[in-house]
Amino acid sequence: MNTSPFPTAQGSDHAVLLLHGLSSSPAELRFLARALVEEGFMTHTPEIRGYSADTGHVPMEQWITAAVAEFDALASRHRHVSVCGLSMGATLAAAVAQQRPAARALLLLSITLSYDGWAIPWYRFLLDYAYYTPLRSRYRYREHEPYGLRNEALRSKIARVMQRGEISEVGPASIALPALHEASRLAGSVRKKLKSISTDCLIIHAIDDETSSPHNARYVVTNVGASFLRTIWLDDSYHMITSDNEREVVARECALFMRESAAASACCNNPTPVVSRALARRLRQLAAVARKA
Amino acid sequence: MLHPLLGPIMPGTAFLIAAVLVEYYCGLAPALSVMLAGLCLADYLFVPPYGRIDIIDESDIRLLVSYTLITVLVITLVERLRRAQYRAELLASVALSRYEMLLRGDNERLIARRATDEMHRMLHHIAQHNQSLILIKALDPATSAPPGSFVATAATSTAAGIIDDETFLTGIAYGARHSQVHQDDLARVNDRLVPGHHRMRFLSNGHGWRAVECVCERFTTPSGDFLILRAED
Repeated sequence: MNTSPFPTAQGSDHAVLLLHGLSSSPAELRFLARALVEEGFMTHTPEIRGYSADTGHVPMEQWITAAVAEFDALASRHRHVSVCGLSMGATLAAAVAQQRPAARALLLLSITLSYDGWAIPWYRFLLDYAYYTPLRSRYRYREHEPYGLRNEALRSKIARVMQRGEISEVGPASIALPALHEASRLAGSVRKKLKSISTDCLIIHAIDDETSSPHNARYVVTNVGASFLRTIWLDDSYHMITSDNEREVVARECALFMRESAAASACCNNPTPVVSRALARRLRQLAAVARKA
Repeated sequence: MLHPLLGPIMPGTAFLIAAVLVEYYCGLAPALSVMLAGLCLADYLFVPPYGRIDIIDESDIRLLVSYTLITVLVITLVERLRRAQYRAELLASVALSRYEMLLRGDNERLIARRATDEMHRMLHHIAQHNQSLILIKALDPATSAPPGSFVATAATSTAAGIIDDETFLTGIAYGARHSQVHQDDLARVNDRLVPGHHRMRFLSNGHGWRAVECVCERFTTPSGDFLILRAED
């Protein structure tokens, strides 16, 4: 496991473990990490063996073990530790939160429980079976337009990097079949355990996500066991919401949610005051809906 | 039930309705399945010769064309409406998310404004009562700004500034009147100070001691919570 070279806020009592997407690198979380550091959080974006790009192949259980070890290392030095993940990293973050209920907040960005977005090719389901054939070590699933980006200027820049077959700031040019297979196993495992996750949970998802449809976020909203749950829908982004048009909104809402979660925690017992009458009305409405449900 | 009465008229109607209902509630794939099953059942049950599917004649072709065309047309329309409805629901979710983000932003702004107002009130209070200040105490010295900095800020606006900041690190800054206060009273308020009225002994013309009414007020600012003690005379 390596640590990314991104800036980290020293002396902060709230650390954030940032988990990037499948076979990708911490670069896709660079903007979010910087924004959180500016907000006073300490961030840690590790590379995980077998999960990050060019780190070999290991079973998904070892991904979880490595991520939990990173969490424990942060928890030994900081009062609050939150877990944030993007795409399959969000699924991995949910697995960490399931094993470490002490996590302060769980931030699920474009969570991917199944690859069912509008840009996923129809034959995608065949890849699950191809894993059991000789194609396993030969075939690689290639990323294609729109590369998770609605921002066309950024997309054309990423396309040039992807065509050279290199890893870009929004992910790798291709993903190996064994990694996809382990990711499917991880998603299946997390689906079954969502009810046991009681950590404060923020879900941010784009309605036009081309990789994981809004059904993924709705499934989590319906099944997660968290009592403090907030869902934010975006309409000017695709899958890579930490790099796309609404990245500032994502960063701001992540920071705000973690601050609120820390303030509302039992040890502080000092929730963020509600001064706005409109917000108080809205919260009363939500509470009434929750009571009826 | 109506078959003896109607005969072979509109043999696929019931299956068309079933397929449309399934499309509305369950989606495209189940609706197409129901449509195909309905076609076979309608032909078998309601198209003469009844109970035979191996004989294909004009009435079978009529059923195939009319039933299939109408059902596919209606299912397509319902599917388009369902997709539009789904899209509208997603956009409504986005609008709701943005509204809630706006409310949270508004709440943050109001909290910041309230904190700024409180800070202005405290600085104004310090400047106004500069000559009667005894001390300013930070309730949580570890996280608060040093109280001496406020006194210094306020003192710049007055002719005779104060500041005895010896106890800077303990979160207490002394004002102009503190040197006249009896040491026991000063030690008492240093240890435990609460908002409200206090009676303290002041040096009278450099000789005896006289009791003076003092008032302590609390200010909650973005830089921390502070207590300001001043003489009332």
